[in-house]
Amino acid sequence: MNGFNIHRAYAIARKEVMHVLRDPFTLALALGLPVLLVTFFGYAMDFEVTDIKLAVSDGDNGPAARRLMDIFSSSGYFRLAATGPDTEPVSMLDSGRVSAALYIKPDFSKKVKGGDQVEAQFVLDGSDNSKAAAVMGYLPGIRRAAQTRLTGTAARDLLSIETRFLFNPELNSRWFTVPGLAAIIIGLLAILLTALTVAREWENGSMELLLSTPVRPLEIIAGKLVPYGILVLAGVFFVYLVSRLVFGVPFAGSHLLYLAACLLFITAALSQGLLISVLTRQQQVAMQLGMITGLLPSMLLSGFIFPVESMPAFFQYLTMLLPPRWFMAAARGIALKGAGLGELAVPFLALGSLSAGMLALALKKFKTDLE
Amino acid sequence: MDLFSVKTSGLKKIFDRTTALDGVSFDFSAGLLHGLIGSDGAGKTTTLRLLAGLLKPSAGEISYYSGGKPAAFGELRPSLAYMPQQASLYPDLSVDEHLEFFRELYGLNAGSYARRSEELLQITRLGKFRERRAGLLSGGMYKKLGLMCALLRSPSILLLDEPTNGVDPISRREFWELLYGLAAEKTLIIVSTAYMDEAERCARVHLLDSGRLLASGEPRAVLKEAGAPSFEELFISKGVRL
Amino acid sequence: MNAASATRPALEVKGLSIKFGDFTAVDDVSFSVNRGEIFGFLGANGAGKTTTIRMLCGLLAPTSGSALVGGLGFEDGGLGIKKIVGYMSQKFTLYNDLTVGENLDFSAGLRKLEPAYAKKRREELFELIGFDRPLSVMASALPGGIKQELALASAMLHDPEILFLDEPTSGVAPASRARFWKLIRRIAGLGKTVIVTTHYMAEAEQCGRIALMRTGRIIALGSPDELKASAFPGPMAEIDFNGAAPAGTITALKEARGLLELSPHGMRWHAAFADPASRDAALSALPRSASVGSIKPSLEDVFIRLVEGAER
Repeated sequence: MNGFNIHRAYAIARKEVMHVLRDPFTLALALGLPVLLVTFFGYAMDFEVTDIKLAVSDGDNGPAARRLMDIFSSSGYFRLAATGPDTEPVSMLDSGRVSAALYIKPDFSKKVKGGDQVEAQFVLDGSDNSKAAAVMGYLPGIRRAAQTRLTGTAARDLLSIETRFLFNPELNSRWFTVPGLAAIIIGLLAILLTALTVAREWENGSMELLLSTPVRPLEIIAGKLVPYGILVLAGVFFVYLVSRLVFGVPFAGSHLLYLAACLLFITAALSQGLLISVLTRQQQVAMQLGMITGLLPSMLLSGFIFPVESMPAFFQYLTMLLPPRWFMAAARGIALKGAGLGELAVPFLALGSLSAGMLALALKKFKTDLE
Repeated sequence: MDLFSVKTSGLKKIFDRTTALDGVSFDFSAGLLHGLIGSDGAGKTTTLRLLAGLLKPSAGEISYYSGGKPAAFGELRPSLAYMPQQASLYPDLSVDEHLEFFRELYGLNAGSYARRSEELLQITRLGKFRERRAGLLSGGMYKKLGLMCALLRSPSILLLDEPTNGVDPISRREFWELLYGLAAEKTLIIVSTAYMDEAERCARVHLLDSGRLLASGEPRAVLKEAGAPSFEELFISKGVRL
Repeated sequence: MNAASATRPALEVKGLSIKFGDFTAVDDVSFSVNRGEIFGFLGANGAGKTTTIRMLCGLLAPTSGSALVGGLGFEDGGLGIKKIVGYMSQKFTLYNDLTVGENLDFSAGLRKLEPAYAKKRREELFELIGFDRPLSVMASALPGGIKQELALASAMLHDPEILFLDEPTSGVAPASRARFWKLIRRIAGLGKTVIVTTHYMAEAEQCGRIALMRTGRIIALGSPDELKASAFPGPMAEIDFNGAAPAGTITALKEARGLLELSPHGMRWHAAFADPASRDAALSALPRSASVGSIKPSLEDVFIRLVEGAER
C-alpha cells in the first residue's frame, strides 16, 4: 500500500490527540499562552503614555497662568503634581517624582492681556526615549489650544498641519496590537508544539517502530499536524473573541479572508516546527530552536512592535522571507482597514508560497530511514 | 502459504568512522527460529535494522525470497514485523489503545482484529492489564506488549532486537514459549540476543563479533566444529582480541 | 554464614526499605557481607538492585531500616561512607570527550587527593588492571571492556575498602567479561569487599554469595551451590528426543512421580527430580531414541523455581 491512506493518517492523528490530552505541559502551553498574551498586551502593556506627572512653578498666579495649567490637565495626558510658589520642579524631576515641569514667569498674565508674545518653559525628563517622544507629540496640540484659549484668536500660522490618524484615530494601541497577537500565537505556539512532537518520538524510540510499519511519511506528517493546527486555530479564535468582546476592537474586513490568512500562516508555522523536529530529533534542541525561530521573528521582525519600514534595509529584505511579516500585514489590513484580496494580493501570495515551500521542505527532509 | 527467507551477501554498514558490519553473508533459511548472538557493538541491531529496511547498506546486498524465488522488499514489507530494542511504545497509552492504534496502522478489519487481539492477550497473559498504561507495565510485560503489537497482523517474518534483555527469568521463559509457538507455524523469526545461553534455544545460530560473522549453523554443530564447550567459550577463543 | 570472627563484617544491613510515594522499591532487605567477599545482587531490571546499592553508597536516604557500611552509618548524611566506598555506576563510566589522564585527574580532584598520591595510585592501578596505553588516549577510543576496567580503576583511586559495581559488564564481549571478572577476583584477593549487581544469571555464578532480588525483596541468599542445592535437592536430567517427542511422552513425564520441574530448554527438556530413584524410574520410561545427560541446575532454574514455588 504505497498511496496515502487516510485511515493510517487518522490513526496517527487520534493518537496525537491522546498524547496532548495527557501531557500537562502541552495542554498548559496551548491553552495558557493565548490567555497570557491577551492579558499581557491587552491590559498590562500600554504603548500610550498618559498620566504624566507635571510639576508647575507658577511665578505668576494670574488668570492666564491658571488657564494654561488647566489646558495641560484637561488634555487627559498630564496630571498636575502639587504646585505652589515653593515648588522646585527641577529637583522633582531629578528625583523622578515628576516627568515634566512647567515654568511660568511672573509677568505671564500681564503679557497675555497686553497681546504681547509670551512664552512658558516646558522641561521634560528625556531619559526615557519613547516616553519623551510621545510627550513631545502632545505639545503641538497643547500649544494650539493655548493659543486659542488664552488669546481668543485663531492660530497666527498661515498653514497649520493637522494630523489625523486614519483607521485608528485615537491611536488606541490595543487596536494595533491585538490583531498582531494572532501572529505571535501562531508563530510561537504552532512551531513549538510541532517541534516537540516528532522529536519526542525519535527520542523515546517509537519513531523507529512506526517507520517499520507500512505508514508513509506524509501520513505521519498529516496526522501530527492536523490536531495541532486545530489547537492553534482555537487559540486564535479565543484571542479574536476577547479582543472583540472585551476590548472592543473593531473588525472592519472579511472574516473569511482573515481565516484564510490564518490557515496559510498556520501551515507555514507548523511546517517550520516540523522541519525543526525532523532535523534535530532531540526535544531539548527542538524546543530551543522553536523558541528562537518562533518568537523572535514574530515579535521583533514582523512589524508587531517595530514598523518594518523603520528597519535597516537589510532587515527589510530579510523580513520578506518571514511568514509572520506577511501575516501581520494581511491581518492588520483586514482587521483595521477592511482590505480585500485585491489590496492584499502581495501578502497573500507571499504567505502562500512560503507555506507551500516550508511544507515541501519538511516533507523532503523527513527521511524514512534511521540515519 | 509461501515461506520467506533472507540472504545477505557481503553486507557492510559504515557509520561516520565506525564499521558496524564488515562484509557479512547471512543465510536465514525459511520457517526457522534464528538467533543472532553477540555482545553490544557486535552489529546485531544494525543487521536487524538493515533487514527491516530502516537503514541502507553501505555495500553488499540483501536478497529476499518467497517460496525459494526472489522477491522484492516491497512485496514482503506488509508481512514483516519488527520489534526494536529500546522502549518504543507510548508510555501514556494503555495496552488496548496500543493495539487499536496498530490495528488502524495495519488496516486490519474488525473481525480478524478482534480474534487476533484476544488470542494474543491470552497467550501473553496481559488480558487483565488491558487498561493499564504502558509506562506502568513491568519490564517483561512491556516487552510482551511490544511483541503483541508486532504480531497483530500475523507476520510471516519477525525481527526481534534483544527482546528479553534485562527481563526476569520467568518472563523470559514465557517469551520464548511464545516464540516456539510462532516457530511451529513456520514464521521466519530472527532474534538477536546478548545472552549466550539463549543460543541453544534457536534452531540456527549466527554468531556476530565486532561486525563479523564468527560461525553459523545448528547450535550443537557449531559448538562441535569449534571444539568449544559453550558459546561463551567460543567467543572467547574466536572473538576479536582487544 | 556464622562468621563470628574478630573483624566485623564490611556491610551489615537490617530491614532496609525505601519508598517513592506509593511505590516500594526496596522492601525490608537484610544481609551482611564479610571483608574480601564477592557478593552479587541478581535480578531483573527494576527488581531494586541499583536502588539498594545507591542507598548503601550514601546516594539515597532509606525510608526505614539501617545499614552499617564499613562500620559507619548514615548519621552524617553518608559523608563518612562516601570516603570509604567506590562506586561504578551502570549508566556512566568515563567522559568520552576527555582523555584517560584527564578523566583520572578529574576523579582525583573530586576526592581531593594529593597529586603525588594520585599519581602513585594511578600507576598501581594501571598495573593491577594491565593498562598500557598512553594517558593522552581519548576515552571514546577505548574498546568497551578496557573502558570498563579503567572506570573501575577510577573508582578505586582513593583506595576504598568497599566497591559497589552496578552492572559492570553489561553488554561487554565475553572475552572482556572474563578478563574483568579475573580483575574482580584479584581485587577481592587484596582484601577489598566487592558488591556487584547483574541481570546475567550466568555471571552471578562467579560470586561467592548472591542475593536473588525480585520486586524489591530478597527471595534467596547464599552461595550459588547452596541455592541450587536447596532449590533442587535431587538430580537434574537433560533429555534430548533427537527429533519430535513421541505423542504423550511429555504428558507422561509430567505425571512422573517425584518430578519437581519440567521445562523446555531450546531443543531439549530439563527435568528436576526429588531423588535419584524417581529420576531413574522416569527416565527408564523414555523411548530409546532419547538421549539423556546429567546436568547441574542453573541460577535461572533456581530463580524460576523459587518464584513459582512461592506463588503456588
